[in-house]
Amino acid sequence: MDCYTANWNPLGDSAFYRKYELYSMDWDLKEELRDCLVAAAPYGGPIALLRNPWQKEKAASVRPVLEIYSASGMPLASLLWKSGPVVSLGWSAEEELLCVQEDGAVLVYGLHGDFRRHFSMGNEVLQNRVLDARIFHTEFGSGVAILTGAHRFTLSANVGDLKLRRMPEVPGLQSAPSCWTTLCQERAAQILVAVGPDLYLLDHAACSAVTPPGLAPGVSSFLQMAVSFTYRHLALFTDTGHIWMGTASLKEKLCEFNCNIRAPPKQMVWCSRPRSKERAIVVAWERRLMVVGDAPESIQFVLDEDSYLVPELDGVRIFSRSSHEFLHEVPVASEEIFKIASMAPGALLLEAQKEYEKESQKADEYLREIQELGQLTQAVQQCIEAAGHEHWPDMQKSLLRAASFGKCFLDRFPPDSFVRMCQDLRVLNAVRDYHIGIPLTYSQYKQMTIQVLLDRLVLRRLYPLAIQICEYLRLPEVQGVSRILAHWACYKVQQKDVSDEDVARAINQKLGDTPGVSYSDIAARAYGCGRTELAIKLLEYEPRSGEQVPLLLKMKRSKLALSKAIESGDTDLVFTVLLHLKNELNRGDFFMTLRNQPMALSLYRQFCKHQELETLKDLYNQDDNHQELGSFHIRASYAAEERIEGRVAALQMAADAFYKAKNEFAAKATEDQMRLLRLQRRLEDELGGQFLDLSLHDTVTTLILGGHNKRAEQLARDFRIPDKRLWWLKLTALADLEDWEELEKFSKSKKSPIGYLPFVEICMKQHNKYEAKKYASRVGPEQKVKALLLVGDVAQAADVAIERRNEAELSLVLSHCTGAADGATADKIQRARAQAQKK
Amino acid sequence: MAAHLSYGRVNLNVLREAVRRELREFLDKCAGSKAIVWDEYLTGPFGLIAQYSLLKEHEVEKMFTLKGNRLPAADVKNIIFFVRPRLELMDIIAENVLSEDRRGPARDFHILFVPRRSLLCEQRLKDLGVLGSFIHREEYSLDLIPFDGDLLSMESESAFKQVANMMIRMKREFTGSQNSVFPVFDNLLLLDRNVDLLTPLATQLTYEGLIDEIYGIQNSYVKLPPEKFAPKKQGDSGKDLPTEAKKLQLNSAEELYAEIRDKNFNAVGSVLSKKAKVISAAFEERHNAKTVGEIKQFVSQLPHMQAARGSLANHTSIAELIKDVTTSEDFFDKLTVEQEFMSGIDTDKVNSYVEDCIAQKHPLIKVLRLICLQSVCNSGLKQKVLDYYRREILQTYGYEHILTLYSLEKAGLLRPQAGGRNNYPTIRKTLRLWMDDVNEQNPTDISYVYSGYAPLSVRLAQLLSRPGWRSIEEVLRILPGPHFEERQPLPTGLQKKRQPGENRVTLIFFLGGVTYAEIAALRFLSQLEDGGTEYVIATTKLMNGTSWIESLMEKPV
Repeated sequence: MDCYTANWNPLGDSAFYRKYELYSMDWDLKEELRDCLVAAAPYGGPIALLRNPWQKEKAASVRPVLEIYSASGMPLASLLWKSGPVVSLGWSAEEELLCVQEDGAVLVYGLHGDFRRHFSMGNEVLQNRVLDARIFHTEFGSGVAILTGAHRFTLSANVGDLKLRRMPEVPGLQSAPSCWTTLCQERAAQILVAVGPDLYLLDHAACSAVTPPGLAPGVSSFLQMAVSFTYRHLALFTDTGHIWMGTASLKEKLCEFNCNIRAPPKQMVWCSRPRSKERAIVVAWERRLMVVGDAPESIQFVLDEDSYLVPELDGVRIFSRSSHEFLHEVPVASEEIFKIASMAPGALLLEAQKEYEKESQKADEYLREIQELGQLTQAVQQCIEAAGHEHWPDMQKSLLRAASFGKCFLDRFPPDSFVRMCQDLRVLNAVRDYHIGIPLTYSQYKQMTIQVLLDRLVLRRLYPLAIQICEYLRLPEVQGVSRILAHWACYKVQQKDVSDEDVARAINQKLGDTPGVSYSDIAARAYGCGRTELAIKLLEYEPRSGEQVPLLLKMKRSKLALSKAIESGDTDLVFTVLLHLKNELNRGDFFMTLRNQPMALSLYRQFCKHQELETLKDLYNQDDNHQELGSFHIRASYAAEERIEGRVAALQMAADAFYKAKNEFAAKATEDQMRLLRLQRRLEDELGGQFLDLSLHDTVTTLILGGHNKRAEQLARDFRIPDKRLWWLKLTALADLEDWEELEKFSKSKKSPIGYLPFVEICMKQHNKYEAKKYASRVGPEQKVKALLLVGDVAQAADVAIERRNEAELSLVLSHCTGAADGATADKIQRARAQAQKK
Repeated sequence: MAAHLSYGRVNLNVLREAVRRELREFLDKCAGSKAIVWDEYLTGPFGLIAQYSLLKEHEVEKMFTLKGNRLPAADVKNIIFFVRPRLELMDIIAENVLSEDRRGPARDFHILFVPRRSLLCEQRLKDLGVLGSFIHREEYSLDLIPFDGDLLSMESESAFKQVANMMIRMKREFTGSQNSVFPVFDNLLLLDRNVDLLTPLATQLTYEGLIDEIYGIQNSYVKLPPEKFAPKKQGDSGKDLPTEAKKLQLNSAEELYAEIRDKNFNAVGSVLSKKAKVISAAFEERHNAKTVGEIKQFVSQLPHMQAARGSLANHTSIAELIKDVTTSEDFFDKLTVEQEFMSGIDTDKVNSYVEDCIAQKHPLIKVLRLICLQSVCNSGLKQKVLDYYRREILQTYGYEHILTLYSLEKAGLLRPQAGGRNNYPTIRKTLRLWMDDVNEQNPTDISYVYSGYAPLSVRLAQLLSRPGWRSIEEVLRILPGPHFEERQPLPTGLQKKRQPGENRVTLIFFLGGVTYAEIAALRFLSQLEDGGTEYVIATTKLMNGTSWIESLMEKPV
């Protein structure tokens, strides 16, 4: 414990910096780091090394090797570089390695050295070659900035969505600038260039000269510049040995430090912690490392060997051939607790817990001291927080133990922060493990989120660990386990040496019906690798037909797609496949396919009904569906044809079809319709007026109304209109004409098949009581009462009803006895009723 | 706002709120002023979930109906098409978009498919070269529209069959993507309209059923002839009679309507007169109000009383309108014939009333309804009878109706008797479809909704809950279509303990439509004290015999 603060170095009055070892590297580096292009990804990411033979001798006969290691030095990939000379390496935010070639081509590799894709930075770059390149990260993704041989800059702010921007010319830039960097302000990427004593800021529109405020005089050149992790601060190293620190906007100066070294530093990076007021710069020369801040003194370290600095969110990682270290400002909580002679509540609590373990009464004293100040809650929080910032599990444990101890003396201390810290530390310790090699700090982990961490583990193919973490943290399956299993499956399908069956089986065994796993995504990946058969096998496991279909179509398994679509019951999907098939197959084959799929066929018919009438006909023809074919022609006779001849011809076809369908009734009816059409045409020619498209009934009516009784009779006979209806028809027509004479003649032509009540009714409807009465007398006894009441002869109606001794009729008549005149009648009925009851 | 939805055992207002939220979210996605171009069919259903004011709050300034040619001028930033996924409509939309004035201000187009996005439609838009013009293409799953506290409808004219299979599939597909939900329904009964073709053909005799039969209820609104609703004022000698149809919304938010909607119409009159007495008595109360406190109390009740009086006046007028129809001789004759058919009298002969209707050229739909009813009640008509009817129809109404006749045949409504056997009497007797002693005032059986006929569909539901279908297997075999039961195991954590006296809730889903009378019958069952089951009703479409036959009619030309 005494030596706990041994590696703490004060910088100024208020801050300590400490450096501790993350890993001892046992990578067998053949080269010196200084001979290599080096790229290390932030957030404890992988390290890429490429021996750079192009720097010294031209056209080296030996091809260099591109090597990728984890942060702990475990080899991840090694491949022979076969493309052109590389100027710069860098990692994207997705942990893809971007290799910028001299010709402006950027080759993208995965973490395991698998080639992903390549893109070009444009013709201008190709012509002028690449002089220097930087890969940088903004909130939009990873960008590439290039300095060409013509001393111009080209930039793409997001390699995922490649948009090249050529930056404006820098005045007076004739040779390579002494240093430059990319900035990101107000959501736009900019470039800061140092040309001799001048600084220029380039954005897509203009090039403007800038001067850092309060810069010590006498500067004739800037040797190095560094921008902070968050793009908020900028540091400049001048040839006078001064380090200027200020805001990236160059509007404000933070401090300046004279280090008295004029040699250009090898690397210069920011070392600051989020939410800390301290700003510091780490500067590295060949054998010297210096931490410089707003303090008269600096912290100096000696570098035993070639080292490389990796700026992080909350510190700097430093790796060399033999070790990998982390340098950062000691966080407040740790400082409070561990500072020598600290009386902070956390420090006391830690002490109390230690005494408690020693079974010493001092524990109580310390505890009482904290409680008296009312700082126990704060003490617990401090211990929890400090635990998060410790790299070594032993120290984490002892801090957490203290927190747990302190918690016992508190009422209602919410347990979440403690529990969550324990969980987070377990996850962190797991990924920091030497075999995994992701040395994340607590702040980095929180910034990165668990989702991204899981993605990174998946990228490293550490599926079991990722799943264990998900299960440990109880993440929802869709976000956690399912997603990882799906990734695993996607990786699995790329294993070309395993047979389709085995892969499919293995995947299904692991995934089973895990909710949220999309088999179709995995199948799509398999298809992407050229394994169509495997893809089909995998799709079998996909429960959602909707997901199977598009891929099957893409793989040209249209028929399978069709049956899947039908299974899904989603008509839209079926239509989609059908239209696809229709374009793919010739008509005959298409129809044959349909024939085997009744549901598809009926859907397609629906479609044709609205969209392609002719195809519909062909379909019916092929199926010998004469009934539908008949209906089709009927429809055509109304819709498509204008001329009578055409309509009759269509109807003839319909009739033929109906005969073939053995639908005698429809055939006959259609023939009748043809006959009627021709006849109506003749009537129009001979009599004028409008007959076409009237129904037979209406045609006869029209004839009667027009006084052509003979023709009407003839027509009724020809078409065998039943007598009853004919009588109704004539009755209605004659009443409409108010041709009472003809009506009477008609009524006497023979005995009415519909009785005479309708005559009465219709006369009354035309308000002709006189005529109505004529017929009332002829109405049969069953309906006589009704008829008499209709014509208003209540008295007689009563007589008839009494005679017929019909109770219902009596009531009916009674209900009509409303006027004063009907009083007598009503009495009569009552009497008759009474009599009837007596009997 | 929509309180009537939350009364039932299952709070359907949640559903309404959810669809409203979804609509708001979509509207907010399109920033700036908007005009909505409506597929006319959708305006009704949308009216049930969102008023214009809601749209207005989200910067909807104009509304148009979807038509060909150019869009009407509107100074808005966004044009949003609300459409069903129909190819015909896509053509119109494309026409709209293509004829858009290029020189005018640039506008953003969006499309909202109701209820589902369709690949086919998008393909069509692509073929027409306008797909790229749409910034947002989304779907709005307005599947089940809450109509009332216990009634949901999809309001779609055509629906799938074999839904059950699909639901079992869906269950597998969606596991995991949804959290376990505490079940609200204990049972789900899916009824395909094919099982019961009979019920919709008969004339509904409940109050609501008759309103629908006579005036047609559209999306819970009914349009009535205005004469009876004219404000009665002295000196106003009727010259200002409103000519526009009176539009009324009908749902159980209205207390009086909730009480009478499901009653047999013959029982409505007495309720109305009782209500009238109660209300006028309540108004008389004011004379008794002596103290300031009493007067205050009286005044505080005034709005409620006035609303009740307005509601009573409306329903009295409606009842008068309906009574005019139901007391007519023709209505009586038609009903007599219907009841004869349903009780199995003379279904195998040509009916002379139907004959007369044809001869007098009564509306074709009325004739078809009767003939179909006869056919269904006779398990199909004898060939001779069928041909006679068909010939009469073709000669009277025109040969083009041969297509309609054919589609009725395909639907099983009007067909020749197969195998010469009439199964209807067996079904009628076993399921007790015809009840001779009906109490219309205080019903004891669901048959009151048709004054004698107990709707087959509802009878099936009733028998399912007690004693179960095993007792009627014979009949189920005769009924069209397969039947099956599926038990869905619940995770133990979700099984709830039923409180004593708490009824089970059954969701009954009518595929292919349901009538108001059937709904009334189900509500009657829910209210039975010893029924043990409450029903929530969902359907693809609210229908009656007329709208049903209409949907099956084909009109060339």
